[in-house]
Amino acid sequence: MEKNLTEAEDLEPLFDYSRVQPLKFTNLDDIESSPDSSKKRRKKSPSVVEKKVKVDVKELEVVNCEEEEEDWLPPPPKVLVENQLGEDSTIKELRLKRQELVSFAKAAEDVLRDAEESVKRKLGDSLEASFGSVADQPSKLPCERAKIVISMQDKEGPKQFRVFMDDKFERLFKMYADKVKLDTKNLVFCFDGDKIGPASTPASLGMEDDDIIEVHVKS
Amino acid sequence: MSGIARGRLAEERKAWRKNHPHGFVAKPETLPDGSVNLMVWHCTIPGKAGTDWEGGYYPLTLHFSEDYPSKPPKCKFPQGFFHPNVYPSGTVCLSILNEDSGWRPAITVKQILVGIQDLLDQPNPADPAQTEGYHLFIQDTVEYKRRVRQQAKQYPSLI
Repeated sequence: MEKNLTEAEDLEPLFDYSRVQPLKFTNLDDIESSPDSSKKRRKKSPSVVEKKVKVDVKELEVVNCEEEEEDWLPPPPKVLVENQLGEDSTIKELRLKRQELVSFAKAAEDVLRDAEESVKRKLGDSLEASFGSVADQPSKLPCERAKIVISMQDKEGPKQFRVFMDDKFERLFKMYADKVKLDTKNLVFCFDGDKIGPASTPASLGMEDDDIIEVHVKS
Repeated sequence: MSGIARGRLAEERKAWRKNHPHGFVAKPETLPDGSVNLMVWHCTIPGKAGTDWEGGYYPLTLHFSEDYPSKPPKCKFPQGFFHPNVYPSGTVCLSILNEDSGWRPAITVKQILVGIQDLLDQPNPADPAQTEGYHLFIQDTVEYKRRVRQQAKQYPSLI
């Protein structure tokens, strides 16, 4: 009797535990996934009515598939208590409760999924928006071209310029020369130590955002 | 094969592309098949303005080992480079590049190159690595400066 009592006492927290779990129940038809635990249970209580066990195992499996091994710990005591006490009404009650919980879990899952999707949607939107602003034109336009920020570095320091990836450098060189009030003829532009020809583009040099073009003034 | 060395070198390269001192070049070597070898970097150190080294763009090669950044890279100028602290082989002798002395894994490629630029005009007579450069430096300043200016002309800007 004492043993049963302690097991019954153990029951409470274990059910609380399972009540916390339902959010993760996703795959409801994987019956194969729990051979170990069902064997264990049968060994422990060989005199159990086969049908009961089957029903129970099915439910437990439904609930616990996809869980880690440790998560199997809660269910077995319940089966034991069930079998030894043979309390049909309690079992029914529990079963109902479980169904209720499962449905709650499903509802919660739906809510989660909805939330996730909406976040994803929002993220996508904001990404598109920021990309659009970088491109300085609505992202839907067919003539959308990738832009790049390039650092033009002279002895005074860097100046940022934003140009198209496929724009010839002569345009950027002109922009820079106008800004520093010098003639492009007197300037040499280098990327990674190599002189940049006016006909090449950021894309043809494999440039990335914030790459540095060094400006040397011919002496 | 250590992934640590390559990981760090990829970081170094990324940081360098976004920010480096004017006139310096540092890029991993590109092999004939177009692939990049992060373990060897070809660099250029500009001579500091206002010194006899000005106008020279000195080629330096950094050889990183699999033990980088636990161990420093070997830094080499061309063979026969004129400087009291450069071995005849071109290898730079500098405390921060010495595993047993000043090297720390946190030292960046940028710090190495700037450190070597400083060394050009501020040789360390306590640690000579070649006879000619050392003797001229301590015995014949006029000739030493002439040789430095002559060498600067040997390494003009490539652009």
